[in-house]
Amino acid sequence: MRYTLVGYVFSETHKSIWRNRMSSFLSCGTTALALFLLGVAIIISLNLDYIFTDVERQLEIQAYLKMETPDEEAAALVKMCEGMDGVAGVRFVSKDEAFEELRQMFQDKAAVLEGIENPLPASIRITTLRAEDVPKVVEQVKELPWIDDVIYQEEASRNLAVLGRVTQALSLGGTVVVGLVAVTVIGNTTRMTIEARRHEIAIMKLVGATDGFVVGPFVLTGIVLGILGGLLGAGLCLGLYNYLTESLGKVLPFIPILSLSREAILNITGILVLTGVAVGTLGAALSLRRHLDV
Amino acid sequence: MIQLRDVTKEYPGGMLALSHVNLDIRKGEFVFIVGHSGAGKSTLIKLLYREEVPTEGRVFVAGKDLTRMRRREVPFLRRRIGVVFQDFKLLPDRTVAENVEFALRVTGYNGRDAKRAVAQVLSMVGLKHRAGAYPGELSGGEQQRVAIARSLVRNPDILIADEPTGNLDPDTSMEIFRLMERANRYGTTVVVATHARHIVDSMRKRVIELRNGTVVRDVRRGAYDD
Repeated sequence: MRYTLVGYVFSETHKSIWRNRMSSFLSCGTTALALFLLGVAIIISLNLDYIFTDVERQLEIQAYLKMETPDEEAAALVKMCEGMDGVAGVRFVSKDEAFEELRQMFQDKAAVLEGIENPLPASIRITTLRAEDVPKVVEQVKELPWIDDVIYQEEASRNLAVLGRVTQALSLGGTVVVGLVAVTVIGNTTRMTIEARRHEIAIMKLVGATDGFVVGPFVLTGIVLGILGGLLGAGLCLGLYNYLTESLGKVLPFIPILSLSREAILNITGILVLTGVAVGTLGAALSLRRHLDV
Repeated sequence: MIQLRDVTKEYPGGMLALSHVNLDIRKGEFVFIVGHSGAGKSTLIKLLYREEVPTEGRVFVAGKDLTRMRRREVPFLRRRIGVVFQDFKLLPDRTVAENVEFALRVTGYNGRDAKRAVAQVLSMVGLKHRAGAYPGELSGGEQQRVAIARSLVRNPDILIADEPTGNLDPDTSMEIFRLMERANRYGTTVVVATHARHIVDSMRKRVIELRNGTVVRDVRRGAYDD
């Protein structure tokens, strides 16, 4: 009996998708489209985050060392900076390197520097993970020994931190809104396919079908169409993104565009497929409840 | 086989469909339910396969108290009852054979036995040659024969029909009633709500007449009118 039910549900699902191929196709397509939009929203928000991180990392803290700082102390200071929370990178610039930088700034007029003894101190240049980390790191660096002065773009880092938070909230909000729209669209499509077949459900109940016999094929259909829609939507938005990054990368190579890692691709596909399956199944189960009580 | 004890059915909105109805139908009987539209025939039929439950009173079918039946027991009751409707209620996207087989599949009947039973019952209603056709390709009479085949394929204890020939011409109607009579000869209890005066008159079975939700006449070997 158990086996018959499982076998029945599978064969019936397969047949019902084929029998109702037009509505299956439409509902799968709608699901794919809704999930495609959700995927686009996710990718846009990932990119915004990526661009911000990129900009934020260009905020550099310059910690100038006292002239008399011994080399081994300088090396120890670099280690200490590397160990601080929120620090992305630490670079030590020796006196000679600083002088070389200056010479390069003067370019062809570098001759004026000839014969001058190097007046520049060595420095430690620190980048942070996020703009909001800058003040904390500055505070800690100021406390370190051998530090003469700390220079950083205070206002820029504060503004960027605020802007970063606003953008993050907006992109999260946007993704949630698109997600809700997708959920509503998929849920409604499922509901409509079931409404269209309510006559059939009533007949099944009349000839003595248990709820499992009625619900099983519908729910499995919801799952199958959710998976197909999710894969289709993910393929569509990832493919399109891949195409765009490749062609944009050629035309505007300086724009920072996130190239999605394998993990990110799997995550996006997973989110879309799971959303499709969950909403399809839930939508089917909820609309069926109203028709079963006959 | 069927007992109604002081059954009253009032629909939401206050429409009184049945009022204090008492009824006994024994195993193997053939019963016509007659009366004007709105007399309560359809409500009475719906109580028998538990599409509706009475507001008051008790309904017993095949030894079960339907008024106290739990929801999940209902499918098992319906498997012992064949129901036939005026609008046939066939699944339009399934063939004749699939429609009949469906009634067996929901009970967990397996493939080969089911196919054999379907073939048997289709030849009984004279539709073996249309097994692969879809309901839309059949005439009204043929569709109703499919519905009867579907209700008989499980050898039901009871066959219930609500205006089964309401959409059919007199000759075709007669064929449908002959099929039901044949099932009755094999032991199935048959209850038919109908307006088909000439058939009721010619078959001379038990006739129960409803008027305004009450039983006003119950005679053995009766006619459509007094």
